[in-house]
Amino acid sequence: MSRALKNNVYNTLIWTAAVLSIAILVFLIATLIWKGMGAISVGFLTSASENFGSEGGILYQIIGSLALTLCAAVCSFPIALGVAIYKSEYVKSKVFQNITDTIIYSLNGIPSIIFGIFGLIFFVNILQTGVSWFVGGIILAMMILPTIILASHQAIRSIPNSYRENAQALGLTQWQVIRAVIFPRGINGAFTGLLLGLARAIGETAPIMFIATAFSGVTVPRTFLEPVSSLPTHILALAQQATNPQALQNAWGSSLVLVSLVFIFSISALVRRIQYSKINY
Amino acid sequence: METNTARKINAGIEEEAEVSIKISNLNVFFGVNHILKDLSLDFQKNKVNCIIGPSGSGKSTLLRSINRINDGTEKLKVTGAVHFNEKDILNGVTNLTQLRKDIGMVFQSPCVFPKSILENVIFGIQQHKKLTVSEKQDITEETLKAVSLWPEVMDRLKDSGQSLSIGQQQRLCIARTLATAPKVLLMDEPTSSLDPVTTRVIENLMERLKKRYTIVLVTHNIAQAKRISDQVFFMCNGQLIESGTNDMFFNTPKKEQTKSYLKDETCVCR
Repeated sequence: MSRALKNNVYNTLIWTAAVLSIAILVFLIATLIWKGMGAISVGFLTSASENFGSEGGILYQIIGSLALTLCAAVCSFPIALGVAIYKSEYVKSKVFQNITDTIIYSLNGIPSIIFGIFGLIFFVNILQTGVSWFVGGIILAMMILPTIILASHQAIRSIPNSYRENAQALGLTQWQVIRAVIFPRGINGAFTGLLLGLARAIGETAPIMFIATAFSGVTVPRTFLEPVSSLPTHILALAQQATNPQALQNAWGSSLVLVSLVFIFSISALVRRIQYSKINY
Repeated sequence: METNTARKINAGIEEEAEVSIKISNLNVFFGVNHILKDLSLDFQKNKVNCIIGPSGSGKSTLLRSINRINDGTEKLKVTGAVHFNEKDILNGVTNLTQLRKDIGMVFQSPCVFPKSILENVIFGIQQHKKLTVSEKQDITEETLKAVSLWPEVMDRLKDSGQSLSIGQQQRLCIARTLATAPKVLLMDEPTSSLDPVTTRVIENLMERLKKRYTIVLVTHNIAQAKRISDQVFFMCNGQLIESGTNDMFFNTPKKEQTKSYLKDETCVCR
């Protein structure tokens, strides 16, 4: 096969793959908008659900989802940033680096339902916390931890060593170098990772359905140990009433809101990434 | 005192020069490689002490041993003594923060932090002590004047330091080092990435700075060493081959290796 022909074949394959991926995404979003827009209204976004979700709005589901993701963010962010800084600045041994990398990648590969089962056994059964949004947030934090660690570690590793040396040559201690040089860069990467992680966490059903959410009858939680309702579990409940057209319509509307929230996190991460890539390290 | 002074013969006139840094039997090993071999030399106060030699001769390693910036490098072992302020700085009790404040270092390529010009100047000093707004302004003005950068940037101190030209960035790095009030300036080929005109600017700066600081300069550039050095140290293969005053070293070198290096920059000591 000639070189020109090979180039054309590969180009066609790559373009086909790209167009197919984009087409699937566009089709999904278009369907969601087409089916879901009918349900969206101010009342839908600001009122409580009624009759197991087939009537009313999704206010408490939005609040529940945001509470879970906020809790996951608060729990995971400092730990992930700390791990990334420790890995890049303190771990000298290549063997230990490889071991920690393997652990982090393995954690990333664990199916989300396993996190849910772990939360159910450890928190709900052993620690007797009961079903609560706080436990759900912790489990989601564990789930998104690798994403944030990897993003911040990558950001820290991209800092040229000359910055560390120049700072040390000015008399800065290792901790001062971390605080003044490494941390500002790492926190940007961690923030990007956090937004990507939250985009994943907000759409998860499996890890939280046994440990953090109730399908109906919940409002705004007043303590750490109360369940919430979330958008993914609400959509699951509505999908089980698919013979009811109103429930199905609400399911599409809830899905559109959920995907919009995912998009907000993803696009914020993209904007953030572009902003900090302009910092000339 | 014998340890604090060194005999210096310059143009037939013998005078005494105060020693700023005294290195005795310094050996540096990296794993099985013997990088610096039993070096003993004195850097004189308020002079430009120039270390020359081919690539891989250990010039930068010597410089980096003086402010112990290589500490923490795996498999690195240093023996011998480096006396500064009458203390051996290689011993375990040395306060590295104070040492590096006293012995500042300027690197080969300017490394300007992604901050404003003002923030770059005070970057080091403000880690050591809390500064008021007026102190920050004063230190910035004083040090930028010392490196002749003030007239060029005085009306744009809040601009990014990285918006400056490479030559200006290198002067900014020198100003940042001066802000920590060092006694010695280690300069590791500070002009290697600069054009000839900017190189002359930095050289003129060194001429002025030596009145207040001891300068230890590593350079590949023999012509530069000839232009600005007071003392010259020629290193090859981790050893000190010859040293002397500028006049002695360039006009009447004693060792064959030195003559060969000055003639065609080849090193025959391996």
